[in-house]
Amino acid sequence: MSAQAKVEEESGFDIQTKLLGGAVVGLGVGLIGLLYGLSSNDKSPFLGWLWGSSFWLSIAIGMLMLVMIFRVFNSRWNPIVRRQLEHGLAVFPWLGLCLLPLLLVGWLGGDKSGILWTWINPEANTIEAMSITTVSEDVLHQKKAGYLNLGFFTIRLISYFGIFCGLSYWLRKVSFTQDFDGDPKWSHMGMKISAAGIPAAALALTFGAFDLFMSLEYQWFSTMYGVWYFASGMRSALAVTIIACFYLSVKNRPLNGIYKQAHQYDLACLSLAFTVFWAYISFSQYFLIYSANIPEETFWYVIREINPNTGERSGWFWVSMGLIFGYFFFPFLYLLFYHNKINGPRLIFIVSWILAFHLLDLYWNIIPGREIKQGATVGFEARPVFGTYLLWGLFSLLGMGCLCAWSVMKSFTSKTAEIIPIRDPRILDSLHHHE
Amino acid sequence: MEGSISQMSKVMDIKYGISATFNSAKDIFEAAGKVREKGYKNWECYTPIPIHGLDAQMGYPRSKVPCFTLAGGVTGFFTGMLIVWFMNSFDYPLIVGGKPYFSPIFPFPVFYELTILFAAFGTLFGMFFLNRLPRHNHPVFEHKGFGRTGDDKFMIVIEVEDPQFDDEETESFLKDLGGKSVTVIRETID
Repeated sequence: MSAQAKVEEESGFDIQTKLLGGAVVGLGVGLIGLLYGLSSNDKSPFLGWLWGSSFWLSIAIGMLMLVMIFRVFNSRWNPIVRRQLEHGLAVFPWLGLCLLPLLLVGWLGGDKSGILWTWINPEANTIEAMSITTVSEDVLHQKKAGYLNLGFFTIRLISYFGIFCGLSYWLRKVSFTQDFDGDPKWSHMGMKISAAGIPAAALALTFGAFDLFMSLEYQWFSTMYGVWYFASGMRSALAVTIIACFYLSVKNRPLNGIYKQAHQYDLACLSLAFTVFWAYISFSQYFLIYSANIPEETFWYVIREINPNTGERSGWFWVSMGLIFGYFFFPFLYLLFYHNKINGPRLIFIVSWILAFHLLDLYWNIIPGREIKQGATVGFEARPVFGTYLLWGLFSLLGMGCLCAWSVMKSFTSKTAEIIPIRDPRILDSLHHHE
Repeated sequence: MEGSISQMSKVMDIKYGISATFNSAKDIFEAAGKVREKGYKNWECYTPIPIHGLDAQMGYPRSKVPCFTLAGGVTGFFTGMLIVWFMNSFDYPLIVGGKPYFSPIFPFPVFYELTILFAAFGTLFGMFFLNRLPRHNHPVFEHKGFGRTGDDKFMIVIEVEDPQFDDEETESFLKDLGGKSVTVIRETID
């Protein structure tokens, strides 16, 4: 080992320690928040925690889907990119661990077990149309009780993470083992795992999005919701991939001269495609609910647009507009131009922009909700844009981000895999990839 | 020699250009780079297979077709908007499903469908326009060996129209590049 490599390894170790420190601090503050929330019956830290984990979970799920899509298409250009994604898949067990406190509160929270997901506690107060009732008396819960109950919810969460962790374990194993023995059977096995894994992961992420985020307002329902989570996950996973590959390909870094303009261009094109797809899904969800105009569904959008008690525009209206123009129109028009896709810094700018707006999109989906308020005209108030959930959420986001980055770094530096899959049958095609 | 015979038999023809054939993609790729460096403008490569990077080697900029696509898309979007506004809100205001006469929400599918349709038209017709299509004949078809560029030969043709074109100089230049069967192509205009 050369002296320089030794220094690099030590600094890598140093960064890992710092990341772990960041994770302990962020998650520690978040956990204190959860305890404080339990004692003071404040939902904010829980919402923040869920928001933080939803961000990293969406990226990981997007990466998992990308790896499997690359595998089933047996595509030539991407093995060098796929290897970077496979390191990213190491985060799933840690994300499962991050969601554990929320599940534990459901089991052990007693009369506060429904603090985040109201339906967990049948005695909790909820709103039916404009009147206050309890969950067990709400007909909309009675009809859904066979699905929305804590036992089944727990089984489902465990199976989702079983699917995510299992698939990522096997996809990593087939790819990393091939580095050592070069046996093409691993490529075939990777294809088979992916062919079976895509529907399994698609179901897991769809119902996962229903259970974790849509059930926050359990009266509301949208079949588009799972696809929305998938679409935003793909966008953010592509953004992270582009940033990571760019970072790894600058001078003196391992992918320099390997990750080329053609790879970046193709990733950027995928990014454009999923920008359109996200808009299509999000708009379709809105469009159907707007056209049908049923109060059972529309309230979800109403509290994201106006103050339901006064009818005036609330802060969420501007967030919604921000999503339409900032999360769709701007990146869409920007990514249409060839030079914005092949120029590294220009592309890094827009994918960072996409990541920031992805965070806002999740905030917009998770945070707004109905808080019961006696004496209010409609019996409830909508949570405002700014609140303590933002503060708690930022700590959780930071903590979980550090934890995920730490586990990915660990995978990168563990020497279980080369920087590119050197014995993949497609590796030469990938190295010589051309626009 | 061959050129002078055809000139005698057919009076009404004009010289189109000089062709040279090559035996491999590598050869034509290198030769194309030299033709570009020499400063020729009106010339073309004919190959049986697509050769990656040949466009750039010939000094071609990126295609202008995307401009037509974008223009078509933008036109389509506003055409859709205009149709809905004119029909539903201006010419014959009509309430449908309790929605406003005009709003960007309920008729959005019309906007984007027309965006896609007009963008596709822009792409197709823009491509036709830039390639000067349709055209029914091309002077290089007069070359007896041209059919082999669809099989196993690679051909460069430098046109008479090129400002740098010179009967002898261009011919010897193509020979120096390693071009085989250097031939003058004549276009009959009867």
